[in-house]
This record gives sequence, C-alpha cells and structure tokens, in this order.
Amino acid sequence: MTISRRDLAKAGLAAGATASIPSVLRAQTAPTDVQTVRMVMESDLRVFDPVWTTATITANHALAIYDTLFSLDSQFKPQPQMVGKWSISDDKRTYTFQLRDGLGWHHGTPVTAADCVASIRRWAQVDTGGQLIMARIKDISKKDDKTFTITLKEPLGVLIDMLAKVGSPFIMREKDANRPATEQVSANIGSGPFKFNHALAKPGVSFTYDRNEKYVPRNEPADGFAGGKIVKVERVIWENISDAQTAFAALQAGEVDFLQTVPFDLLPTLEGNSKVTVQVLDKTGNDRYMRMNFLQKPFDNVKARQAMLHLIDQEAFMRATVPNEKYWNTVTSLFGNNTPYSNDENTGWFKKGGDPEKAKLLLKEAGYKGEKVVILDPTNVTIAHNSAQLLAAMLRKIGVNAELASSDWGGVVTRRANKGPVDEGGWSIFISSNSGFEDSDPIGNIALAANGEKAWYGWPKSDEYEALRAKWVDVETLEERQSLARKMQAEWWDFVGSVQVGQIFTPSARNSKLIGLISMPGLIPMWNMRKV
Amino acid sequence: MATYILRRIVSTIAVMAMVGVFVFLLLRLAPGDPAAIIAGDAATPQMIAGIRESLGLSDPLPVQFVRWVLSILGGDFGTSILTGRPVLQLISQRLEPTVSLAISTMILSVTFGMIFGILAAWRVGGLVDHLLTAFAALGFSVPVFVVGYFLIYWFAMIVHLLPVQGYIPIDRGLGAWLVHLILPTMTLSVPFIAFIARITRASMLEVLSEDYIRTAVAKGASSYSILFRHALKNASVPILTVIGISFAYLIAGVVITEAVFNIPGVGRLVVDAINNRDYPIIQGVLILVSGLYVFINLAVDLAYTLVDPRIRY
Repeated sequence: MTISRRDLAKAGLAAGATASIPSVLRAQTAPTDVQTVRMVMESDLRVFDPVWTTATITANHALAIYDTLFSLDSQFKPQPQMVGKWSISDDKRTYTFQLRDGLGWHHGTPVTAADCVASIRRWAQVDTGGQLIMARIKDISKKDDKTFTITLKEPLGVLIDMLAKVGSPFIMREKDANRPATEQVSANIGSGPFKFNHALAKPGVSFTYDRNEKYVPRNEPADGFAGGKIVKVERVIWENISDAQTAFAALQAGEVDFLQTVPFDLLPTLEGNSKVTVQVLDKTGNDRYMRMNFLQKPFDNVKARQAMLHLIDQEAFMRATVPNEKYWNTVTSLFGNNTPYSNDENTGWFKKGGDPEKAKLLLKEAGYKGEKVVILDPTNVTIAHNSAQLLAAMLRKIGVNAELASSDWGGVVTRRANKGPVDEGGWSIFISSNSGFEDSDPIGNIALAANGEKAWYGWPKSDEYEALRAKWVDVETLEERQSLARKMQAEWWDFVGSVQVGQIFTPSARNSKLIGLISMPGLIPMWNMRKV
Repeated sequence: MATYILRRIVSTIAVMAMVGVFVFLLLRLAPGDPAAIIAGDAATPQMIAGIRESLGLSDPLPVQFVRWVLSILGGDFGTSILTGRPVLQLISQRLEPTVSLAISTMILSVTFGMIFGILAAWRVGGLVDHLLTAFAALGFSVPVFVVGYFLIYWFAMIVHLLPVQGYIPIDRGLGAWLVHLILPTMTLSVPFIAFIARITRASMLEVLSEDYIRTAVAKGASSYSILFRHALKNASVPILTVIGISFAYLIAGVVITEAVFNIPGVGRLVVDAINNRDYPIIQGVLILVSGLYVFINLAVDLAYTLVDPRIRY
C-alpha cells in the first residue's frame, strides 16, 4: 500500500480540523455571563395568574413582576411595600392607604388606587384570607389616585397580616383585575422589579425576566420579602429542565446557576465541590402530613384516626424518604416547628408514635372489620411515593387491608376530590405537605380548617376547633394568639384532623459565584442576588 | 401506482380519524382533572369548579367531542388548556428540535448500522463480526437514558467538550446547533445502529450465500463490487422495512432523549401535556404523529419498487 501526497494532505486537513474541534465546542459550552442568572425552579411555569392558581411557581412568577401592598420581613412581620403611608381610625374600622411615589406599570403608566382596589377584590374571590376580609368589609374604595380606604363593619385584627402574607394580593392593572377570578390573566404586566420578556417566552422551555429599570425600590435594605427590592442583574432566565439528573449536571458544568431543589441522593456527589454551594432557603421547612377521609370508614371514627397518630413513627418515615439526617426533623405541633405559635399542647400521648400495638387496639375499638383502606400514591413525586409505600407496609403489618392507588400527581389531585366510598373511586389517605411557615396561619392555610365538607380534602370536622379558629382574626397581640394556638392544638389532636409525618428541609444548590439570595419560606425573591 | 397512493392517502385519513376518537375517549376516561391541576394544591373545590366551568370541561362529553371535531374539520386543533396558546403553534415551535434529532439520528443510525452490518457479514465468524455482534447486543440491552447519562458524564462533566443539555435553533448558528445535537444523537442512535446492523448482517448473509454471488466471486469481481453492487441491493428490502419500523420506535426514543438532554421538542411537549392533562395538545400531537407514521410506511412501501423491480402496486 502506498500513500500519495494527496492522501497525506487530506489526512493533515482532517487532523487539523479534529484538533480544532475542542476549542470550538468549549466556546459553545461557555458559562453564562455575570449579568444573567439562569435558574431551574421547582417546576415549570404553566399558569401566569396567581389568582387563577395556587401553584407556588406562579406565585414566584408574580413575586418577580408584580408588587404587593405589604410584605413580610425576615421576622415575618408585615411591612409596607407599595404603601407609603397608612393609618387606622380610632374605632379600628377604617384603614387608609396611600401609595408611595414612583410606582408605575411596566408599560409606563402610574399605578393607581383603583388598581389596588380591583386587585384586592379579585384576590378575595378565591383566597380564604381575602374572603374573610370581604365578609367583614363595609366598603373598599379609592379616595384619589394614590389613596384608598377599607372600611370594616367590625374591627379585623389580622387585616394587615392578610395583605402581607405569602401569596397576598399581587397588584394588577385595573383592567386585568376586573376579569373574573376564574379566567386567567396572562398579560404579565405588573409594577414589580422585573419585567416579563414576552418575546423570549418559550412555554415549557424557558421564561425570561428583565430588570425593570424604572422600578423605584424602597429606601430600606432588603429584608425578607420586604424592604428595597434592588435588582442587581440585568436578566434572569428560568430554564425548565425536567430531568433532575440533567439539571444537576448542568449546574456542575456551569450551564445554569441555581437549582431550587436538589434530589437528596445526588447531594453526596457535591461534597468537596467548591464551585457549587448547597443552601436551605426555607428555614421553616416543609411539613408533611397525611389526610384521612373523615367521611368514610374507617377514618370516620376518631379512634381509627388516633390509631394513626400512634402508628406513625416520624423518624422511620423521614429515614425512608430523606437519607441525610441534616435535612429532616420530627414535628408534633400543629403550627410547625420554630414558628411563633409552635407549642407542645396535647402531644404527650402520641409524641413518639411508632406504637403498632396501641394502633391495632384502637382500630379494634373503632370497629375496624378489614375494610379496604386506599392510599393515594403519586408515583411521580418521589417523597410522597416512598411515604405512601411505607405507610401501606405499616398498615398491613397491623392487619389493615391497605391498598395503594398508584397514579401520577394529576391522578391524585383528581381522585382526592371524590367524597364517596373507596369502591366508588374514593380514598382513605393521601400524603401532602406545606411550608412550615404556612402552618402558622390557620386562616390562610386551608389545611388547618375543620369545617366539615367545606374544609380541604379529608373534610375534617370539629365545631369546637372551628369556634376557636374563628377567634383568630380578632386577636391582636402575639401572646393572645399563642394562647389561642395552644387551645386550637389541644382540640386538633383530640379529633385528629391530620397526622404529621415529619419535616423536610429542601436544599437548593447554586453556583458559588451567585450570592445574595434571600432566604424566606415558600418563594424565591430574585432581587438582591448577584454574580461575582 | 397512482390508485394505490390515493387509496393509501384515504386510509391515512381514516386512521387519523380513528386515532382521534380513540385518544379523545381515552383521555376523558383516564383519571385526572385539568382544572384541579391548574388550580394547584391549596385550591378550594369552588375554585376548581370555577376553572372547570370557564374551560368548558363541565360540558357533557358528547358536546365536548362535537365541539372538538368541528374545530378540527375547520383546521383548528384548539388551544392549550393551560397556556391558552394555539396547539398548532405550540407543536410547530417544538418541531425543529425533534425533526433535527430524528433526522440526525436516522442518518447516523443508517450509515453506521449498514456499515457495521455489511462488515460483520463480510467477515462472518471473525473478530470484527464478534465485536459488532457484541456491540449490537449491548446497544439493544442498555436503556437510552443510561447511555445518555454516561455520555453526559464523560463528554460534558469530565472532558468538558460538549454541553450537558439544551438546544440551539439552527438559525442561531450551525456550529452551536450541531454541538448541542451531538450527544443526543449519539445516545438515541445506539439502539438503532444495533438494530439496523443486525438486520443488515442477517440479510446480507442470506444474499451472500446465493449462487450468483459465488459466480461473481469466481469471475474475480472485487469485494466492493460484490458487497455493494450485487449483495446490498438485493438485501435492501428487509433493511428498508426495518428503517421504516425504526421511525416508529424513534418517536418513543425521542421522548426519553429529549427529557435527558432537555431538548424542547414534541416529545417533551406531549409528556408535559399528559402530566397536566392538557387534552388539546395530547390530541393534536397524537393525530399528527399517527399521520406521520402512516405516511412513512407509505414512503417505505413505495421505496420497495425502487430497489426491487419485481414489486409493483
């Protein structure tokens, strides 16, 4: 075999091209620039209207592009945000709010009191706190372009708390807010620190938020959701990477800067990696609990529900779902751990759980005769799926005829609305969760209601508890609320409105060069953060 | 031939209509309420009922079905329940990544699959044959997502040569487009290369044992001439069939590959739609995919006449 000069030249060209490929490829994989932050949020943004849905991702979107009248600071105290001055009349029935200077919509016109009034009205159609305000309200109207009042039939101690809570009314333009709450607002024009970039919106792929250069922040430093919302980057991009492993690899390769949630099993691989920092942003954790169907056997009987309190060994559940002990805790207070209302009232009798014999006995006393107990099992939500499987095993061990009803989360949210018996598509138990911080709000958190068929799924009923809960809105001081919280908790664990499974602290991971993330429950503020 | 093509096109429409009815009923009978998913975890039943009403989901099934059929006949595939955007627009936005991935995969698979198959048949029983047979077995056995993660680990995490994820449209630069397609294409091609290689090998072996090949060898024809001019052409019918079938499997593989490499294609669109019970998108995608599948089968059937003059319609 001979090699011609032509062959040699061809080989040389090919080798040169091959050698140059790595640099070309590296150029294509270069990390993002310092003025752009790429974030992978916990789920894909599908709905833009924070009134149309209660989805957390939509609330995060709203937090970026809309502003709120009041906000919670890092101590969870309400602070004025859009409001400049405000006052309460001596009889505590009339609140007057004046908007601060410089507030404007993304398309340029100023925010007015009429926008605020319409936004509160729309929000109040669906939010339990808002409905409470509306039930007490005599009048809500604008006085001038920057001033509006809320006049109450009787004083409402929690009014400002309701306007400041997480998921409080995001102020929309009057024309948007006048749409029915059952129709989605997707104009995405707010007055918040970020502008939604419509041209770069790619549903299911990515959404882009640009710094609102005309936004006038408050003078105070950023503090929780309150204070000055100073945006320190030009652009934030939410990348929708549905595969957790891929998102994790993308963070390590510098293709994205932030993952809101990191699977626990991947965390050990980050040890010793100085380029990535793991951080728990929601210090109040995520309280997991099981809801039982009060309308059907066997959990229509209080003894059967008490049996579950004895059965559930939170430590076993947490070990089965969260491998690293650093990221879980047990929780026995109805009001979560480390909230202003956490207490130990009426918890002594079941505190440690994990007593199957006692559970078995109580089930027998409840007249359990082997009826099928259906546990809703969302197979695409790892923690809930693992918990459901463990629960089924625990129940079978004590002789309960437990059956897993496996589906995706979409199937669970549909089936749990069925109030009928299990053989007609009903259910017995499902496991859910909420931010620990939400557990300190018995009015806004619908899982803390026990008004029977009007309550959240499971439909717990206790008139005594509801009578106490009704007082919450009129109690003004922290000490009085703490005292009321103890009484409510005493009742709750008597009739067993739910059973807690444990508390999880969900870690986020970020490029170590991304700093200034604000640590708050539930939502991720995007102001204040920057890349160094 | 023209009558045959016409008949197949008419049957395609019938198939798509049947798929449409089947998908509509299947989706409505499957558990899952789009309104409950939209409303979120903390929604009240009243809120969910309001959304269901506003979306027309509380209408009786026959009413919803007639409404949907009429809109399809008018060329309107409806709008996404969640985003409110037209289904056809959403699908068209996702076509480029999927088509890019599908075409690059088929090019790579057919090229290497046939080369490997021919080589294995040519050197049957030798080292090359054993190695290629082992590769084919491995290619069949290892799941696509494992191959994907393996390639990401080596090429993106260790060597830092290629991106982990994402897709760059071709109009934003050929280089960037190509670079983002390399790993997904390699991943998705592995089982298809294995599949096509095995069929090519078997088909070639059958042809190579024919008398006329022995005659060609006796006459002193070159290996190239025997393999490519005489054997491959006559072995092509089963290979073409396999390529046609591969397109159907490709659709399933694309869904996984798009998820692993975060490619915003039709596969991910339909998976997200299924999770969210976004009926119009699922229906639209499945009808179009079924039409595409029938069309590919038709194209394969017609291609037979090109490689085998004995076949006539």
